[in-house]
Amino acid sequence: MTAPTLVVGELHDGALSDATKEAVAAAQSVSGKENVVGFLAGSSPRGPAAGFGRCGVARAFVAEDPRLDGAIDAAVAHLVASAADSVGADLVVVGGSTFGRDLVARLAVRWNAAVATGVTSLSRAGAAVEVRRPVFGGRATETRHLEGAHAAVALRPHAAAAPPEVPGEVALTAVPIEGVPPALWAPKCSGVKAVAQGAGPSLTDASIVVSGGRGVRAAENFHLIDELAVSLGAAVGASRAVTDAGWRPDSYQVGQTGKQVSPQLYVAVGISGAIQHLMGMISSRVIVAINSDASAPIFKVADYGIVGDLFQVVPALTQEVRRARGQ
Amino acid sequence: MPDFSLTPEQESLRDLARKFARTEMAPHAAECDRASRFPEEIYRKAYDLGLLNLNVPAEYGGSGLGLFEQCLIVEELAYGCGGMTTTVIAHCLALEPILLDGSPEQKERFLKPFCAEYHIAAFALTEPSGGSDPGSMRTLARRDGDQYVISGEKCFISNAPQASLLLVFANVDPTLRHKGVTAFVVPRSAEGVTVGPDDEKMGHRASSTATIRFDNVRVPASDRLGAEGNGFSLAMRTLDQTRTPIGALATGIAQAAMDHAAAYSLKRETFGKPISEHQAIQIKLANMAQAVHAARLLTWRAAWLIDRGQKGTLESSIAKCYASDAAFDVANEAIQTFGGYGYMREYPVEKLLRDAKLTQIYEGANEIQRIVIARELLRGYG
Amino acid sequence: MEIVVCVKPVPDAETRLRVAADGTTLDIEAVKFVLTGYDESAVEQALLLKEANPGSKVHVVSAGPPPRTEEVLRASLALGCDLATWVETPPGVAPDPVSAARALARAVSAVPHDLVLCGKNAGDDEAGLVAGALGELLGVPDFSSVLDLRWDAAASRLRFQRSTEAGMETWEASLPCIVALQQAWNDPRTAKLPSILKSRRLPIAKVPPDPAPPAAGTTRPTKFELPPPRTGAKLIEFKTPEEAAQKLVKVLKEEAKVFP
Repeated sequence: MTAPTLVVGELHDGALSDATKEAVAAAQSVSGKENVVGFLAGSSPRGPAAGFGRCGVARAFVAEDPRLDGAIDAAVAHLVASAADSVGADLVVVGGSTFGRDLVARLAVRWNAAVATGVTSLSRAGAAVEVRRPVFGGRATETRHLEGAHAAVALRPHAAAAPPEVPGEVALTAVPIEGVPPALWAPKCSGVKAVAQGAGPSLTDASIVVSGGRGVRAAENFHLIDELAVSLGAAVGASRAVTDAGWRPDSYQVGQTGKQVSPQLYVAVGISGAIQHLMGMISSRVIVAINSDASAPIFKVADYGIVGDLFQVVPALTQEVRRARGQ
Repeated sequence: MPDFSLTPEQESLRDLARKFARTEMAPHAAECDRASRFPEEIYRKAYDLGLLNLNVPAEYGGSGLGLFEQCLIVEELAYGCGGMTTTVIAHCLALEPILLDGSPEQKERFLKPFCAEYHIAAFALTEPSGGSDPGSMRTLARRDGDQYVISGEKCFISNAPQASLLLVFANVDPTLRHKGVTAFVVPRSAEGVTVGPDDEKMGHRASSTATIRFDNVRVPASDRLGAEGNGFSLAMRTLDQTRTPIGALATGIAQAAMDHAAAYSLKRETFGKPISEHQAIQIKLANMAQAVHAARLLTWRAAWLIDRGQKGTLESSIAKCYASDAAFDVANEAIQTFGGYGYMREYPVEKLLRDAKLTQIYEGANEIQRIVIARELLRGYG
Repeated sequence: MEIVVCVKPVPDAETRLRVAADGTTLDIEAVKFVLTGYDESAVEQALLLKEANPGSKVHVVSAGPPPRTEEVLRASLALGCDLATWVETPPGVAPDPVSAARALARAVSAVPHDLVLCGKNAGDDEAGLVAGALGELLGVPDFSSVLDLRWDAAASRLRFQRSTEAGMETWEASLPCIVALQQAWNDPRTAKLPSILKSRRLPIAKVPPDPAPPAAGTTRPTKFELPPPRTGAKLIEFKTPEEAAQKLVKVLKEEAKVFP
C-alpha cells in the first residue's frame, strides 16, 4: 500500500499555478492517482482549491487565514507537516517556484524530511524516493535517493507536463489553524507590493526565452530582441554584458549570477557563449544561436545556429514567426 | 626544495595576479601594443591592489614579498602582457638599490611617501656607450660642496617618461673607471632633467622607454646611496636580485604562447583532422612544454635559493638566460603552429615573439649571462 | 548591525567536471574550490552594508571539510570580513545542505547576529535550502531571492525586493532575519595583496559540529552524470536572411518540435 503523497499548491492569478499542476502530475506518476492529496493555504483557498479536482485529485486540505497570504513559511511548514502526518503521507511534492523551494527547506527541519529541490524527475526506488536534478549550472545531472520516513521534493519548472483537465470534484478538509504556535506567526513585513515585471511571461517561468548580448551593440537596438520575443510569446533575457552596460535592468540577466532558466527553447542573439552565461541556460531543451562570429563558443552548445548579421536575420525571423503563427 | 607545492598563501597571491592579468591586463594588451600606449589606468589599479611595489618592505608601504612570491606574481602578469609587466619589473628594479644600500634614514625618506601614493620609478644605468659595459659610462657626477652636479645621457630607460623617482648611476671619477660609479636618487622634477620622446620599440610597447638627459642636475650628497664608487657593485647586486623575475616574465610569455598554440592546434583542421594529430605539430608542442616547465623550475629554484640568503648568481643567470631563450623559441614555434594566421597582427602570437625578444637583451644580455655562468661554473672546478 | 554571512567553497566555474571512480559524485581531485557566485555577492553585500552603517561588523561562517573551507573563510577575511568561524566537518565530501545548515545554525547562534546573509544557492548543488533550514533552526523569518537590500537605520527596517514568479515584490522587514541574496554584484571587490597576507594570520574560531545530529531523512547520491558531449550546432545555410528565417522556423516546427 503506497502512502499518500501531499501536493502543496500555490496560486498564480487566483488559480492553481502551472507549477502546482506539474507537481500533481509528478505525484500521480510516482504514487498513483488515488494516493495524491492536495494542500492549499491562503486567505480564501476553497475556491482555487477546486482546481485540484480538475487535475484528478480527489481530496485536498485547505488552511484558511488572512495571515497565510504571502510567504509566512514557518506557519505553512507547520500546517503542511501536520496535514501530511494526519494522512500518513511520506512524501510532499511542491511545484518549481520560490515558495516551493523555501517550503521544502523548512520541511527538511520541521518534518525531518529528506529533501531535494530543482528536481527534473521523480520516481520510487524501493523504499526510497529517487530524484534526478541538474547541478553545476546544468553541466551535470545527479541522481539521489531520499531515504527515511519522510521526503519532500520541489520540482524544477516544466519538469512534468500538467495533467489533462478532467471534470472532477475535490473533497476539501479544513486544517485547524489554532494548532500553529503563536511564535510562528511573528509579523515580518508590513506591506507587500507585487510589481509586474513586464507584459511578457516571467523569465524563469517562460517556455521560450529570447536573449540578447553584446552583439546587439547598443540599447537602441534591443527592441529587435523584444519584437522577436513578442512574436514567439517569449520572455526576454540578456547577457551580463547587456545588463552591465545598462541596456536592460539586472533582472534580465541570464547567467551564473543571474537567473537560471530551463525553457523549451532558448534563442541566443549576439551572445558569444561565455561559461558564466551558459551556466544560466545550458539545460534548455533546444538552443538556437544567432551570431556573426562562426567561432563563438555558443555554437558548440547550441542545437541550431545561424552565422549571420543579427540586424538582418532577427527582423526576418520575427516576420517569419508572425507569418507562421498567423499574427 | 623537496616539496614543489605552493603554500595556500602563495596560491592566493598567484591567484590575485592571475585574475588581474586576465581581467585587467590581457583585454587591453593588443590595443596598447598597437598604439604604443602606457596604460596608466592599469598600473594605478595594480598599485591599488598591491601589485606594484612588490619588493618594498611593508613597513615602508610596499608589499614586502620574497623573491619566490614576486616570481609567482610576475609570471602571471606576464601571461597577461609582457610589456605591462616590464613596467612593474623596471619599477621594482629602480627601488631595489635603495633597499640594498640605502641608509635607514634614506629608506624612510624615499620609500614611505613614494609608496603612499601611485608613483613610478626608473632605473637609469644604460648609456649609448654600452649597456653591457656600465663601467664605461660617461655620465659624470662632479662634487660641489654638499652637492653633486650630474651631466650626461642615459638611453633605453624604461618608465623614464612617467617616473617621479630616478635611480641614476654616474661616475664621480672617470679615471677610476667602474670604481668611480656612484648611485644617486634623483627626482624627475629636478632642474636639468629632460626626458626625450618615447622610443618606438619592437615589443613591450605598453612599457615606455626613453632617453634621459642630465644637464648640470644638482643632487644633495644625502641623496647618494652608499659611498662614492659603490655604484658599480650596487648595480651588480641589484641585477642579481632582479635577474630571476625576468626568468619568470619570460616563462609567462612562453606559457601564453604554448597555450595559444595548443588550443589552436585542437581546433584547426587540415587534411581532415585537427593539426594536433599531426606529428610535426605534436613535436613542436612537446618541445614547447619541455621549455616552459624547465624555465619555470629553474626560476623557482633560483628564487628559492636567493630567499634563503644565498647569492644565487649561477642559478639566477641560468634561469634568466634559459627562460628568455626558451620564450623566444616557444613564441617562434607558436607562430609556426598558427601558420599564415600566426603572421597576422590580428592573432595574438606574433606579439609574443616581439615581447620575448627583449627578454634576451635587457637586464643583462644573454651573452653576458653566459659569461657569468661560465665564470661561476669554473669557480667550482678551480 | 551584526551581520553574519554564510559561505560555501564551491568548484571554480572553469572547472572541467569529471565523474568520480564510483560514478556517484564529482571527482574533486585537482578541483579548485573558491568563493564565487551568489556567495561572493553575499560577502560583497555584507561589506557594503557594513560600510554604510558604521559600527557594524561582518562575521563570515562556513561549515565544511579542510582545507577548502578554511581557504574560503580566509578569502572572505581578505575581502574585509571582521571575524570568521569554521564548523569543521570530516575531510572529503562536503556535508549535504541540510546538515550544513544544522552546523551553520550552531555557529550562528553562538555569535551576535542581527542579519544573516547567504547566497541564493551554491554553484555546485544549487539546492537553495540553507536559508529556509536556518530559519527553522534559528526560529527567525527568512527571505529568498532578494535583490536591492538596504538597511533603513532611522526606521530600523530592512528594505528589499524579492524576485518571484509573481514579479518583483517590494518588502520591508525587521531584524533579526535571514536573507538569501539573488543579487549579483557585477564588480565585487578584489582583495588587495596586503589584506591577503594579513588574512593568513587572522584567527578563525572553531565550533564543533553536533556530535549527535537528530535522526532525519538522508539523501544519498547514487549517480553523477555528464551529458553526452554537445556535437555543436547544426548550422543553417542560407543566401538571404529571409531564407535563414524560413529554414529555422521549419526546423523548429518539424524537427525540434518547439515552435509555439
